[in-house]
This record gives sequence, C-alpha cells and structure tokens, in this order.
Amino acid sequence: MSDTTAAIDVRRLGKRFGAVTAVDDVSFSVEPGEIFGFMGHNGAGKTTTLRMLLGLTKPTSGAATVLGRDIVRDTLDVRRQAGYLPANYALPPDMTAREFLRYVGAMFALPPRLVDARADELIARFGLGAAADRKLRGFSTGMTQKVGLAQALINEPSVLLLDEPTSGLDPLGRHELLEHLRALARDRGVTVVFSSHILSDVETLCRRVAVMHHARLIACGELAALRREYAVASMDELYLALVRRHAA
Amino acid sequence: MMRLLWLDYRAAMRERKTWLAGAMLVYAVLSIPVVLAQPPPHVREAIAAWFHDADPFVVFMFVWIDLAMNKAIAFLPVVLASTVLLRERDTGVLAILAAKPLSLARYFVVRTGSACAVMATLHVGSQLLGALWFPGQVENFRPGVFLAAMSLHLFAAVCATACAATLAVATGRRGASALLSLMIFGILVGMALVGFYQPAWQTATLANPFTLGALSLGHLGALGPGVLLPPMLALTALTVITIAAGARLAGRMEA
Repeated sequence: MSDTTAAIDVRRLGKRFGAVTAVDDVSFSVEPGEIFGFMGHNGAGKTTTLRMLLGLTKPTSGAATVLGRDIVRDTLDVRRQAGYLPANYALPPDMTAREFLRYVGAMFALPPRLVDARADELIARFGLGAAADRKLRGFSTGMTQKVGLAQALINEPSVLLLDEPTSGLDPLGRHELLEHLRALARDRGVTVVFSSHILSDVETLCRRVAVMHHARLIACGELAALRREYAVASMDELYLALVRRHAA
Repeated sequence: MMRLLWLDYRAAMRERKTWLAGAMLVYAVLSIPVVLAQPPPHVREAIAAWFHDADPFVVFMFVWIDLAMNKAIAFLPVVLASTVLLRERDTGVLAILAAKPLSLARYFVVRTGSACAVMATLHVGSQLLGALWFPGQVENFRPGVFLAAMSLHLFAAVCATACAATLAVATGRRGASALLSLMIFGILVGMALVGFYQPAWQTATLANPFTLGALSLGHLGALGPGVLLPPMLALTALTVITIAAGARLAGRMEA
C-alpha cells in the first residue's frame, strides 16, 4: 500500500539490465523535510534507484512516487519538483557559472528575471561571487560541486536527490556542503536523499537511513534504533554488522 | 524552449569551433575572387556549355557555389552538429541536463535548432561580406541575384546541419557520426551539379538537398519566387522531417 504522506514512496522497485539485477525489490519511504541517508558500497544500486526516481531509467518492476507523482507516468512533473546532483558529471567548460545556472533555469521554463535573481542568490549563498563569470573549465572539485549543487537548487526543489555529493571534496568542502544541506532541510523544508558510501557523512547528517547491498535493501529505519538493534556504537560498525548478517 | 534555444545559440556562437568555421568562410570570401582572376579557358568553356552562358558572373557563381559554399556546407555542419547530445553524454554534462523537465527528444530539437541557427548565421554573414567585397573584384557582379541565389543555398546548409545532428543520435558515437556525415555529404556534394552536366539525370538529382540548394545556378538570368520557393519549401520540409526523426531517436537514448 502506498504511503500518501511520504515525499518519496518506493514500493518493491526493481531494475534489471539483461542478466544483471541492479536493484531488487526495494521498498522505503522518505518523510517531507527529512534528510534521508542512502548507503551502500559502490555498485550496490543506489545510483540506479535515484535514476529511476527521476525517470532517467525505467524500472522493470515495482512502483514509486515522488511528491505523490508516479515516476514513470509523471516523469517531467517529478523532475520539475526535484533537484538532482549525479555522482559523475561535468559542467560545460565554455560556460561561466552564471551562464550555466541561467541555462539550467531556462530548462525549467522559468521567467528569465526570476532565474537571474535565483542565480545571483545561489552564487552568493555558495560563495561563488568572485568566480561566477569565469569559465567553468578551470574550476576546482570543490567549486564544481558548489555549482553542481547550485544548479540542483535553481528551481527551488521540494526534493533534492544527491548521489555521492561529498566524494572528492576536502574536509572543509565536505563540512560546508553538509551545512548547506542541513540549512536547506531546516529553513526551507527540502526533502533530501543523501546517497553516500562515506558513512561518517551519513551519520553526521541523517536521522533515518536505508542500506543497500548487492542490489537489495538490507536495512531501513532510524539510525539510533538500528544501532540499538545491532548493539553497535558507530555507523561503521553498524554497516559491517548489516553486511555480515546479510552475507551469513 | 525559445529562451533555452537563445541561450544555447549564444553559447554555441562563442565556441572555438564556431570561430574557426567563421574564419574559414571569411578566407573563402577573400580568396575566391583571387582564384578566379584568370580562369583557364577550358573551365570557362565548360561552364559556358553547362549553363549556356559565359558571363563572368555566371562563372563566378558556379565557382562560388561549387568550389566554396558546397564544400563549406558539406564540412561545417559536421563540425557544428555531428556531436549533438553525444558530446554532452560522453563528457558527463548530460547527466545533469537529462534530469531536468525537458525530454531528451525536445533537448535534441533545441540543440539542433541552435546548431542550425549558428550555421545560418555563418552562412548569411559570409554572403553579406561577399556582397560587399565581390562587386569590386568580379566583373559584372550582381549583388541582388547573388543574395537571392545564396538565400536558397542557405536552406541546404541548414538541412545539412539537421542531417548531421540526426546522424549523430542515429549512430550514437561521435567519431562514427562525423565520418558517416562527411562520407554522405561528400557523395551528395560530388553529385550536386550532375544534373547540369547531364540533363538526362536532372530529375533524379532533385532528391539531393545539395542540388536543390544550387538550383538557382541554372536560372541566374531569371531568379524569382517561382524558381526559389519550391526548392526552399522542399528543403524546409526535409529539415523538419530530419529533425523529427532525430528527436525520435534521441528520445530512446540513455543519459
């Protein structure tokens, strides 16, 4: 049965690429305004799940809704309400940060003045002012990630899907990014799905988590309750306990 | 979508490859009158036989279309459009853009429309430059006839750009797309004027967009809407059909 109050509701979602099962019978839900941790090793199926939520790849089984909209039938509506930062991406090297934000804003068919105002606000919020009119080709990893996050926010999304957003960032960059995400959820009520294999980031940011392993969801719930259930103190220990139990 | 098209066009106009294409066309405008200063008698005789006219302007128009602009529109559309969506996919930019509320099919239409607009800008710019430069260089040059003839050629240039973009999404690989486009356009350009040399084949060559773009060559003395409009409409229809086919193929792409 579908949870109509959830921002994201995933029911028995599956994806096969030929003989390979990328996501197998995954169910979870995310409450509005929460930062939800989506954990798992590389290749566990996190990215495929997020891509299915945005209609970038079609599920082979199951169903899901984002803000009450079906991910297959209402793909463009889902994308209109969502922001997405993929794990692997590049920014167009010949555009400046400001031009790119305007370009992405135009993809949402937003009025140019509104896009310009939001671009200015995001540039200020992420401290990109000095580099806003520089070509993106020379940007550092941290700066690229800031522009990546800014483009995901240009439509003021209600749901933000972030795939490994902290990988490649130095400790200061990671700290800044996590602070931005906290502020988004706290001040604007944005629902954030934070996919990562960096367990400490998930532990710092999220109250509830889902853990994927070899295409299957092996745990989902409140982090504190999972720690109690498995009698462990840290996220690392919890993850190892879950994986070992699943392998046994 | 118009705003996105405009932003994409502006970004494309600033790209290095666009500037190189522009430089190539400026070179053609400046050099062709020099090349044509003293055409060999056998060339002049051959052109007189094909077009029933040995007027220096007719010789010039043949050389301008066949030697310069047909080669340009066989090559430049490949440079401008043979990587549409594929470059974005391969570099990772599409990973971001595909998640926006614009289907890949519609994004293909925007990117192709932008490439066509860039090609049109370069084409129109070079003809306008030519209309200023050629009167002092070419005997009996008629700017009005020149611009009318080249306005038809512009439609062929835009059509070739749309074809290059559609071949890109049809092949799915940047190198293969560029090579295939060059091969096809090379063959079509090579056969573009066959109908003038061999009147028996004229009807068959009308299926070639490059022939349609050069049809004015046979009517330089009486260019008017009756001569220009039918091939313009045919090229427009072909362009629209080509873009629609490309959009359909793009809709099946995985970002």
